[in-house]
Amino acid sequence: MFSLPQLFGEDIEEFNSALDRLLSQTDALAAMIIDVGGFLITCRGENSAFDATTLAALAAASFSATQQMAITIGESTFNSVYQQGEKFSLLLQDVNGQCLLVVIFKADNSVGALKYCSTDTIERTKSQLGRAQERHPSQGLDLSSLNLADPSAVFKRKQE
Amino acid sequence: MAIINQATKELQVKIVYYGPAKCGKTTNLEQVHGNVQNVKEKGKLVSLATSSDRTLFFDFLPIEAMAIKGFKTKFQLYTVPGQVIYNTTRQLVLRGVDGIVFVADSQYDKMSENVESFTNLEENLKSQKLNLSDIPYVLQYNKRDLPNAAPVDYMEYVLNNRELQVPSFAASASKCDGVFETLNMITRLLLNKFINEGSRKTP
Repeated sequence: MFSLPQLFGEDIEEFNSALDRLLSQTDALAAMIIDVGGFLITCRGENSAFDATTLAALAAASFSATQQMAITIGESTFNSVYQQGEKFSLLLQDVNGQCLLVVIFKADNSVGALKYCSTDTIERTKSQLGRAQERHPSQGLDLSSLNLADPSAVFKRKQE
Repeated sequence: MAIINQATKELQVKIVYYGPAKCGKTTNLEQVHGNVQNVKEKGKLVSLATSSDRTLFFDFLPIEAMAIKGFKTKFQLYTVPGQVIYNTTRQLVLRGVDGIVFVADSQYDKMSENVESFTNLEENLKSQKLNLSDIPYVLQYNKRDLPNAAPVDYMEYVLNNRELQVPSFAASASKCDGVFETLNMITRLLLNKFINEGSRKTP
């Protein structure tokens, strides 16, 4: 199964640069790169206005549900999901089958213009993910110095 | 699959609580959310549920553990809807899963539902080209406080009777008994997996 490679500073810098450009071009509130499993990779813009972690999980689930709807009606895929609100709207777009671009923008802005501008963002993100994949195709994280014989629990229950 | 972000020193892993309807998956998350004390950051528990509190899509709890080897370790805990009709939804939630907690209902009359749900888990993983034997998982025998609970040995025979036995825990999630033991074991198995993969693949 395809999975994301380890992401280094240069990867995140390139994602952020692509997102910043999109934000400056479109006056969107915030833009995020997330994984289809619901993990937040990076977020730019006014991300203090909302819970980005939760939004990433919900956006990935919503996008996955939409893909199932596509299959149900005989489409191979819907590559974007658009939700229009009164103040803000949301656009989810597929990047490479593994990652999604999520943009929150003012509801009176044109989604067409946003889609047009985000083409470049998606291409840059996809290219950088490709470079990261080539660099370390399946490298895991070395936690070998972690002492798992240590009985202390990662999560502790409050004492009564 | 887990996200490893070397730039922000973050490790993000996804744990899914799976099991038959009304076995206590959501209760596990509620107890973790309500009683965890030593985490760096605890997010909001999001429940996409029906008006009668039955899980419709999933419950979601993001939780950040203390740093492990300099890495912020972010756990994302999910539940699936247990009702049989929501199978497509269960498949969606399993996407990108790193570890599984299978919650079984210990009551005798729920045993066939436990077995059916476990089989359904294996099938749903296969549909995503995943194999349960490749994914860390633990068993939790919940509702031990009920009078018609089957003996643990019997639960072991029914659900843990494989070549490779996995850790199992007796629990009464409504009283928070066994909840943290289960979570810590799946966490340990997951971190072990990263250690083994890391030491194998890192030059």
